[in-house]
Amino acid sequence: MPLLDKKTDKAVNEFNQYVKPVSLWADAWKRLRRNKMAVLGMWIVGAYLVVTFGASVLPFHSYTEQQMLHVNLPPSLKPAGVVALGEHEKRRVDLKEAIERSGRSDLKTDLERVDAEIIQLKGDMDVNPVHKRVYILGTDYLGRDMLARTIYGGQISIMIGLIGTLTAAFIGIVLGSLGGYLGGWVDNLIGRFVDLMYSLPYMLIVIIIMSMLPTGSNSIFVLYLAIAMISWLTISRVVRGQIISLKNSEFVEAAKSMGASSNRIIFRHLLPNSLGIIIIYSTLQFPSFIMNESFLSFLGLGVSAPQASWGTLVSEGVQGMQLYPWRLLVPAVAMTVFLFAMNFLGDGLRDALDPQSKNRS
Amino acid sequence: MSRFIVRRLLSVIPTFFIIVTLSFFLIRLAPGGPFSREKKIPPEIMANIMAKYHMDEPLLNQYFRYIGDVLKFDLGPSYRYKDHSVNDLLGAAFPVSIMLGTMALGVALLLGTLVGVTSALNQNKWQDYAAMSVAVLGISVPLFVIGPVLMLVFALQLKWLPTSGWINSRAGWKTVIMPIATLMMPYFAYIARLSRGSIIEVLRSDYVRTARAKGLKERVVIAKHVLKGGMLPIVTYLGPAFSGIIIGSLAVEQIFVIPGIGKIFVQSALNRDYTVIMGEVIVYSLILIAANFVVDILYGLLDPRISYK
Repeated sequence: MPLLDKKTDKAVNEFNQYVKPVSLWADAWKRLRRNKMAVLGMWIVGAYLVVTFGASVLPFHSYTEQQMLHVNLPPSLKPAGVVALGEHEKRRVDLKEAIERSGRSDLKTDLERVDAEIIQLKGDMDVNPVHKRVYILGTDYLGRDMLARTIYGGQISIMIGLIGTLTAAFIGIVLGSLGGYLGGWVDNLIGRFVDLMYSLPYMLIVIIIMSMLPTGSNSIFVLYLAIAMISWLTISRVVRGQIISLKNSEFVEAAKSMGASSNRIIFRHLLPNSLGIIIIYSTLQFPSFIMNESFLSFLGLGVSAPQASWGTLVSEGVQGMQLYPWRLLVPAVAMTVFLFAMNFLGDGLRDALDPQSKNRS
Repeated sequence: MSRFIVRRLLSVIPTFFIIVTLSFFLIRLAPGGPFSREKKIPPEIMANIMAKYHMDEPLLNQYFRYIGDVLKFDLGPSYRYKDHSVNDLLGAAFPVSIMLGTMALGVALLLGTLVGVTSALNQNKWQDYAAMSVAVLGISVPLFVIGPVLMLVFALQLKWLPTSGWINSRAGWKTVIMPIATLMMPYFAYIARLSRGSIIEVLRSDYVRTARAKGLKERVVIAKHVLKGGMLPIVTYLGPAFSGIIIGSLAVEQIFVIPGIGKIFVQSALNRDYTVIMGEVIVYSLILIAANFVVDILYGLLDPRISYK
């Protein structure tokens, strides 16, 4: 009976037509793909991940190598030697003018140094392969390639965001589902603790943790710990609410009446059904992780030299922004584009996985 | 209402107490301290210093001494800034930060609701799209990128505004324009999105339909019915927004060289200046508690369905 066989794997819609059953995930994927901004965001995020984490095999310059003759070069497609020579000659003219016009003899040593560097550059130009390099995005105050530094900074920023999000989601899921499923004093205790943590701004928790750890301990670890400590709060509340509402639903009751254990109910029924909302909150939290990390690094409380994140790069760039704006703009734009893409992706995922929330804020 | 206020005020005391106690012990239990430096201090001098600040006593004694002082509004001496008490340091810096924060939040609230309402009333028209694009921009771009870029354009290139300083400097009120514009950006954007969403929802509600049905002018419907109902989520957001804005002001103060709490905050964390850190924790949590308290009362005034028992 082929007709009946077909019936078993095809559902019937209200017009008595056979329709292929679509899982929640397939449905969400279809909706996500229709959202152009979210798809664009996904591509951008994917490209960032490939470039930052594949940086060691891709042909980029080293992010630590300092070239003192290539200091503060503007973005250019020409070889570094030519650009550097141009910059030096411009500086030489400026210096000469300053000396002649206002008689500043104190600048003479500078002029001599520039002259010596020009001679060195001219002699080196064809011999040293370093001068054949191209710095598409310019160099910083130590002659390091901005492109490589931005990619490397992104690696640390994205890593902290990724690990932080996963930790926050893990703690939030465990505590939220415990509280929601068990209820009673466990729920109360977790709830009060979450309330207390909410009432403290995260920066205070960060400086308390920073002052707790021995000086000279790994600042990236401190940062990650501090940010993860406070960002599980929202997820745990959301998971708790979801679990409570699912706990009283009919299908859980049915499972219970068939003698399913607590473990089975939590892992088989409650968590898979909360997964959508967990994914939504995690993707929305990911950019805020990166922002918090960079904020702290910008203040000087986060990632410290020789390591660098987007935040440290921006704060380094601020220092010379009048003369060398690319040192600020390169990391700033790189970071902003990523945060943009992440926000669009997060919004798109929310609309796709939770269609009811559509059009809300 | 007054009973609610009293009860709410009383519930602040244990929260505050727990925060102070927890942070005191967490900070003190850590190895190292404000006096451990690269160069070893001779033990006799170290003992003198410890005795001067009562740090040789048992931790519990120190704790009760500290609580006693705090109740007398004395936050103790700073360990690193010699001859300065924590009261002096925070008293000079906090008002500046709070003033900056309040002004920024005020502007964000005003502009945010204005933009939100405009785009809700013109849903899916160009005003809506323009406003929401700006809002996504404000949420995605970090403060410490907006600030320097504004400075680069308006202070260094166009030379319209001063690069740094505060109201009491020569440039006067011009100095606060860029810091406020920077600091309000994320909150303005979020408030715009929030108010757009909630007003769209209120516009579809029954009581608005009733108001229209009884023949009220559209202007009256919007001003009296829609706005009042649509403001509720924004009022809820004000508490977290205020706490976020004082944190954000740390970066803005650093960018525009404003004599607020920012510098002391970073220095105290790096130096482990215990008393200053504790002072910051106490003042920040008091501000937050006060902000949330005001929000709760505002909420009751706006929504007649909430009754305080």
